[in-house]
Amino acid sequence: MTRMERPLSPFMFPVWYRFQLTSLMSILHRLTGIALAVGSILLAWWLVAVAAGGEIFAATHAFLSSPMGVLLLFLWSVAFFYHLCNGIRHIVWDAGYGFEIRSAFRAGYAVLGVTVLLTVLAWLPLWLI
Amino acid sequence: MAHTPLLSDGTALRDGNVLRRVGQLGSAHDGVREWQLQRKSALALIPLGIYFVASMVRLATSDQATAAQWLASPVPALLTILFVLALFVHAVVGLRSVLLDYVHTRALLVAGELSVRAAAIVLAGAGVLAVLKLFLAH
Repeated sequence: MTRMERPLSPFMFPVWYRFQLTSLMSILHRLTGIALAVGSILLAWWLVAVAAGGEIFAATHAFLSSPMGVLLLFLWSVAFFYHLCNGIRHIVWDAGYGFEIRSAFRAGYAVLGVTVLLTVLAWLPLWLI
Repeated sequence: MAHTPLLSDGTALRDGNVLRRVGQLGSAHDGVREWQLQRKSALALIPLGIYFVASMVRLATSDQATAAQWLASPVPALLTILFVLALFVHAVVGLRSVLLDYVHTRALLVAGELSVRAAAIVLAGAGVLAVLKLFLAH
């Protein structure tokens, strides 16, 4: 008797599971969380650079103002706003509300909408200047 | 009047007795406490994160004097320190849950957990020291 080769997490999605907004948003919550944790290195670095001043700050400032730096900051802000909004969605579930499938999808679309809105609001002042 | 039970009455976010009840049924070790820590740090990060990121819109690419002056003021200094502390608590709990899900070798798991904790302590310590230095020097 041959045993079936079972797929293991995290490789179930999207090959073995049908695409769903809810599962995509679940894995995105974790991925943005990991990205933000990695990004927190830059945050701590920036605080140290401000305190240190001089060449360290100059190099940090040059990096953050470069196209690569601005792209990183942009992606960091999208990840932050997504994780913030979807985190609130999770807190509401944890409090015992919104488990109906309709609610889960509605809240999911709301999270995506508000993420876009907050990202635009955060970057609009910089584009206008 | 009788209290109508809600689904939410039984969640670990609301019920302070859940740790005791779980303890009697069989150990979940520190699972509930860690679960609550993840949510409590998340709740703290909602206002602190919005405040910090809103400030960063202006400061991320500003000159050193502007950023230093901001971090030296009492309210930004305090809120930035609290943000950094809550952020690294939340990051440690979150990354630990990722490691627990995907790392199935005991030695790698322990090494990963210790690395995450060590990195978080160093980064949080450096961030807090940096803010304190600017605040106290002002």
